[in-house]
Amino acid sequence: MTAVAGLSRDGRRRVWLRQFLLQGCWNYEGMQNVGFAYSILPALREFYADRPEEALKAVKRHLEFFNTQPAMGAVILGAAVRLEEKAAAGETDSRAIGTFKVGLMGSMGAIGDAFFWGALRPMASVAGAILALFHPLVGIAALLVLYNTTHLSVRFRGFEAGMEGQEGAIAWLRKAALNIKTEDRKLGAAILGGAYAGMYTGRFAGMGGTPLFAVVMFLAGVALVQLFTVLFRKAVSPSEILSFLLLVGVLILWQ
Amino acid sequence: MAWRFLLAGFLGGLCYLDRTAACQVMLHRPLVVATLMGAVFGNSSAGAAVGAVLELFYLARLPVGASVPPDDTGAAAFAGAAAAVAAPSTGLDGGSFTAVLLLAVFFAETGRVADRFVRKINGRIAHITLESVEKGDLQAVEHGLQAGLTLFALSGVILSLAFTGAGVSVAKYLLPNFGPGSRMEFSVLQPVLPLLGAASVYSCSRTERTAAVFFLTMAMVFGITLFLRWAG
Repeated sequence: MTAVAGLSRDGRRRVWLRQFLLQGCWNYEGMQNVGFAYSILPALREFYADRPEEALKAVKRHLEFFNTQPAMGAVILGAAVRLEEKAAAGETDSRAIGTFKVGLMGSMGAIGDAFFWGALRPMASVAGAILALFHPLVGIAALLVLYNTTHLSVRFRGFEAGMEGQEGAIAWLRKAALNIKTEDRKLGAAILGGAYAGMYTGRFAGMGGTPLFAVVMFLAGVALVQLFTVLFRKAVSPSEILSFLLLVGVLILWQ
Repeated sequence: MAWRFLLAGFLGGLCYLDRTAACQVMLHRPLVVATLMGAVFGNSSAGAAVGAVLELFYLARLPVGASVPPDDTGAAAFAGAAAAVAAPSTGLDGGSFTAVLLLAVFFAETGRVADRFVRKINGRIAHITLESVEKGDLQAVEHGLQAGLTLFALSGVILSLAFTGAGVSVAKYLLPNFGPGSRMEFSVLQPVLPLLGAASVYSCSRTERTAAVFFLTMAMVFGITLFLRWAG
């Protein structure tokens, strides 16, 4: 067994900051592999300060395929640092690190994608889009604050939990209850999305001046939202729909 | 005008970095980018108006695994610049607003092709990094990441310059060719665009209660908007 001091405060800070570049060299073969190796490098340099061969092996371990949701990568990064510390001290088998990363990146990716891309971002986006109609800066501020309050907190707390070891990471995940929060944010996005659709439809309906026109516009709005949703489910992309609309516009001008 | 393009390239490069390579703090979102580009070309409100609609178009396309979603950052750079330049000459009427948003789709798809290209080159960088590490060079990891970042930033700057250039050209040379009558006819498509964005939000926020909540809120806000419009 080799005596290894824990990661210094400065090393910890550098690893945490470097996680923001996890996708800095995103590629199809190894995906976030270079980014992960880059993020954990300050820790490896400390743990294997006087063992360059071991350091090299450790870096190669982290250059293997890696891909997860970037913010959730913080938890895996923290836990990987803790495991490397143990491996450097001879307390655990270094092969466990790769197994741990592979085991966790899929589930973290699934949780993170559903929460960040599927719930939090739509909610922040639609809130920003609504408020931007009152003032652009208010809209932008709302988008950035709503998203980043949670985003940065997950990056910080997730990393700290990971640094406490695998048990710490799992305990944090349980406490964070991201699956419940995903449902809540999705509901928030649905409410704001409905408000956005209602506001725009109401604006256009108001131009007609008659209640009948307004009712027809509202029903047409509901039908269009349903139609687009069905098209999205059938893998028709927004670009295809927009191109079709552009074609319709050109035909209108043609006549 | 040259300094405006320089600024657009610089800010666009930063926003593109946020898109994939660094941070992901949402500086790359269409609302932010279109407003920024609008401000650079003289009208941030016009930029924000197109950005607020563009913001929601591609929300349902998630950057999961190896899939690369359409480049809404590039689309916003084009639309923000075009809207800002068109606003004083055509008043950014419904027709011009609709045309700018519909034309932005080409830039979203072109940007996606460029993004895939950068990621392919990054594969080569990652390969070289691994080879250098095998030879005992630990610093290769840092150099590899810096090379990847530089490539993402460079591609962002080039795309921003090209897309804002296209936006300014469309606003200066294409839109004024159409008379007010033609633009009025084109604007019949305008009400459809926000609904496409709303459908994106609806389809990516599916839960058991989403349908009821979404359409009830839509009806309520529709009624309030209509009342406020007719009342005053």
